[in-house]
Amino acid sequence: MSRAGAGRLTARGVVRRFGGIAAVDGVDLVAPPGRITALVGPNGAGKSTLFDCLSGAARPDEGRVLLDGCDITRLPEHARARLGLARTFQRIAVFPTLTVAENVLVGAEQVRRHGARAATDRALTLLGLAAARDAPAAELPTGTLRMVELARALAAGPRVLLLDEPSVGLDAAETARLAAVLRALAADGLPLLLVEHDTELVSELADAVYAMAAGRVVTAGPAARVLADPRVGLSWGEATG
Amino acid sequence: MAGGASFGLTVDLALAGLTVGSAAALSGIGLVVTHRATGVLNLAQGAQAMATAYLLRELVVVRHWPTPLAAAFCLLLAAPALGLLLDALVFRPLQRRGAGAAETMVACLGVFVLLIGTVVLLWGTAPLADTPSLVPATSITLPGGHVLRLDTAVQLGAVAALALLVAAVTRFTAFGGQLRAVVDNRRLAELTGVDADRVSAAGWAFGSFTAGLVGVLLAPFLLLDPYGLPLLVMETMAVAVAARLRSLPVAVATGLLLGIAQSELTRLRPGGQLLPLVQAVQANLFVIALLVAALWGRTLGDGSEPVAGGGGRAVASPAGRAARAACVVLVLLPLGFQGGDLRRALFVPALALVLLSVVVVTGYSGQVSLGQAGYAGLGSLGTALLISGRIPGLPPLPAVPALLLAVLATAPLGLLTGWPAIRRRGLALALVTFAVGTAMSRFVFEQPYATSGLTLDRPAFLDGDRAFYAAELLLLGAGLLLVRRLHRGRLGRALTAMRDHQAGAEAAGVDVPRLKLLAFTAGAGLAALGGGLMGLAGRAFDASAFDPVQGLIWFATVVVAGADSAVGAVLAAALLVGLDAGTVPGVSAVVVGVLAMALGRMPGGLAGAARRAARWGGTRPGPAEPPGPAGTRLSPAGARVRARIAERAGPSAGPSAGDRFGGPR
Repeated sequence: MSRAGAGRLTARGVVRRFGGIAAVDGVDLVAPPGRITALVGPNGAGKSTLFDCLSGAARPDEGRVLLDGCDITRLPEHARARLGLARTFQRIAVFPTLTVAENVLVGAEQVRRHGARAATDRALTLLGLAAARDAPAAELPTGTLRMVELARALAAGPRVLLLDEPSVGLDAAETARLAAVLRALAADGLPLLLVEHDTELVSELADAVYAMAAGRVVTAGPAARVLADPRVGLSWGEATG
Repeated sequence: MAGGASFGLTVDLALAGLTVGSAAALSGIGLVVTHRATGVLNLAQGAQAMATAYLLRELVVVRHWPTPLAAAFCLLLAAPALGLLLDALVFRPLQRRGAGAAETMVACLGVFVLLIGTVVLLWGTAPLADTPSLVPATSITLPGGHVLRLDTAVQLGAVAALALLVAAVTRFTAFGGQLRAVVDNRRLAELTGVDADRVSAAGWAFGSFTAGLVGVLLAPFLLLDPYGLPLLVMETMAVAVAARLRSLPVAVATGLLLGIAQSELTRLRPGGQLLPLVQAVQANLFVIALLVAALWGRTLGDGSEPVAGGGGRAVASPAGRAARAACVVLVLLPLGFQGGDLRRALFVPALALVLLSVVVVTGYSGQVSLGQAGYAGLGSLGTALLISGRIPGLPPLPAVPALLLAVLATAPLGLLTGWPAIRRRGLALALVTFAVGTAMSRFVFEQPYATSGLTLDRPAFLDGDRAFYAAELLLLGAGLLLVRRLHRGRLGRALTAMRDHQAGAEAAGVDVPRLKLLAFTAGAGLAALGGGLMGLAGRAFDASAFDPVQGLIWFATVVVAGADSAVGAVLAAALLVGLDAGTVPGVSAVVVGVLAMALGRMPGGLAGAARRAARWGGTRPGPAEPPGPAGTRLSPAGARVRARIAERAGPSAGPSAGDRFGGPR
């Protein structure tokens, strides 16, 4: 699905302040091609703010965001999306009055003039949405909507995929399907960065984990090591789900 | 001028300014208290004020009640009762359903339009000069020989009394504690046993009382008509907006200061060309203040949810085809009309184009715009100026090029409201667009140069009403084609995505700021075309046709018809013109007002209701054909991914389409 090869997303010293308080305080992070990188931490650790800085929904006050070495820090969100930075939202962002296929098509046709329909069909088929393609998105259950959002991101042929709590609201079977899809996408060379509360899913999926607290990265490394780190502990385990 | 005399003049002007200032402060108290108790910015306050003033006049002048009795009845009984009624019938159900700010705003506009329609129905539109004054027209002499009018003193007393009353109730009574709890967090307050409904009811009753008070106090200063007083009171929203809808002292201080400033500005008498401008600023200081306060208050209210789209998208259905057919028949019918009927029908296609501009901006793009009447007026005025040869460097133009040039010139002015829309939404955007439209009306349409000596003659081949109507239909058709382009295809999907979920659209790569500017530009062009045609239809530029209050009625009409329905807008234009021509003026506004208030039970407006009815009638599209992994061709990479999913997850867990997603339900 990936377009023109997979990319590498890098954050260097990203700082984002709200009224003098640094929600993100000098974070360095790399999401390399073909790897699943996870961002964990308690509520309020700054994960979502960092995520917004990476996707362009927010501008960092300091630091830089690089996509394949190109500085995209100053680019607005839609321009980053057109460069191949796709994201999903913790609170599902679909367009309720469009059909499933139209939702996905919106993602595809912003980045390419030709072949948007074909890309849409491929994404729908890949995520098992072909049967629901003409259903208005407003009428679908959460699990399906997560897939619609993911399909929209994939139809754009992303070079990097950012996923904000992709398993929220999914049952066990749906989570397993999601994990399978994500693993396959990474195996195909796409870099994935996800914010996730579900420890089990993180340890199962992630190649590398960054643990954040109070706006900083406390520790980073292979999933097994980071999740066992006492500094990460279970302080954020209570927020699971 | 001697220093002492100058100071004396300053004091006198300040005292004179307190008349308007204290009325604005009263209005601000009402808005802030209502908002704190109910969470609603009462856009209908001006209409409530106007209706109360009409009622008082009816009782005193027509039915010969003693003024004190009539005033007590109006202010202590009728106005609070209206507030309680609105709370029980309109706003409490909305609150209970957890309706958003946009829906509540439309309900407010519904109340506004209904009250105006009712007053027009009962008392007509002729301005009345005999409104009774509650306070004798005498003055009191202050130390230093300064004169304060008695009515101003009474108003100031009312401001002080109400402000103190509210402060005391809030601070020292159990009810005040409940009010504070509800202001902080309504749900939480309810959970801890506070009767939030009682707080809301009290808020509406009090707000309605202050609105009535403002109305009966202001009415004697002006000719009472259904449009002027509501607009005047709406302009004083500046005071409440400057107070962020929270702070009573700020609202009162802003009101008094603006009143004083307005009065002091009369001392500025620059020579030459500047004089009309200074006079306009002086006369319309509250409009400027509203614009500034609304631009400043970017985060006012949330209102992030779109006004339109509740009924789902239009699909090819028998109901849709029937509506389109009815629409075509309805607009073709007048070709067979004669004389006055035909002349009145000339306004239908023109109004339809103006309403279509609301469909584009609000219905398709999700941007609240209460200022479209302003763009329509600019189109009309621009056409008139071009035909009359009043634009420097241009000869008098024939009507058709003049109209088209006026449209082209007005369209970019859509940026005036499009630019603020990039970072604002909901209530804040509603106020900005309303203020821009009001500013256009006050600073452009109502200035002497605009109304004097303008001709709007039609060319010979369009002189006959039937020929002109046919030409209008052609332009309406062109407008509908443009609107269709904005709702279909890549652009239409992007606009819908922006309307449905702005952050999601941005993340998907949709250039949201550009699309907003495009929507407002297209909307301004459409409105200008409609306005220009209105002018040519009536062969005159009529500033009152583009009154901001008229714009509010048009907005409510479109939302009632179904904001994202182009056919609905054309039908609504026919009904608006037809109802008022065929029955009594005011009927259309009453109908629109009632429907707008009921919109909470009818998402998507009449068009949405029709679509739902059509779907329940069994006409929805059949289920999609079953997919199959083999059915769609995958790219090589997609095929690899699919293969990996299958091999990792085992044979059963692959996302095959049939197992979980059972087609549309």
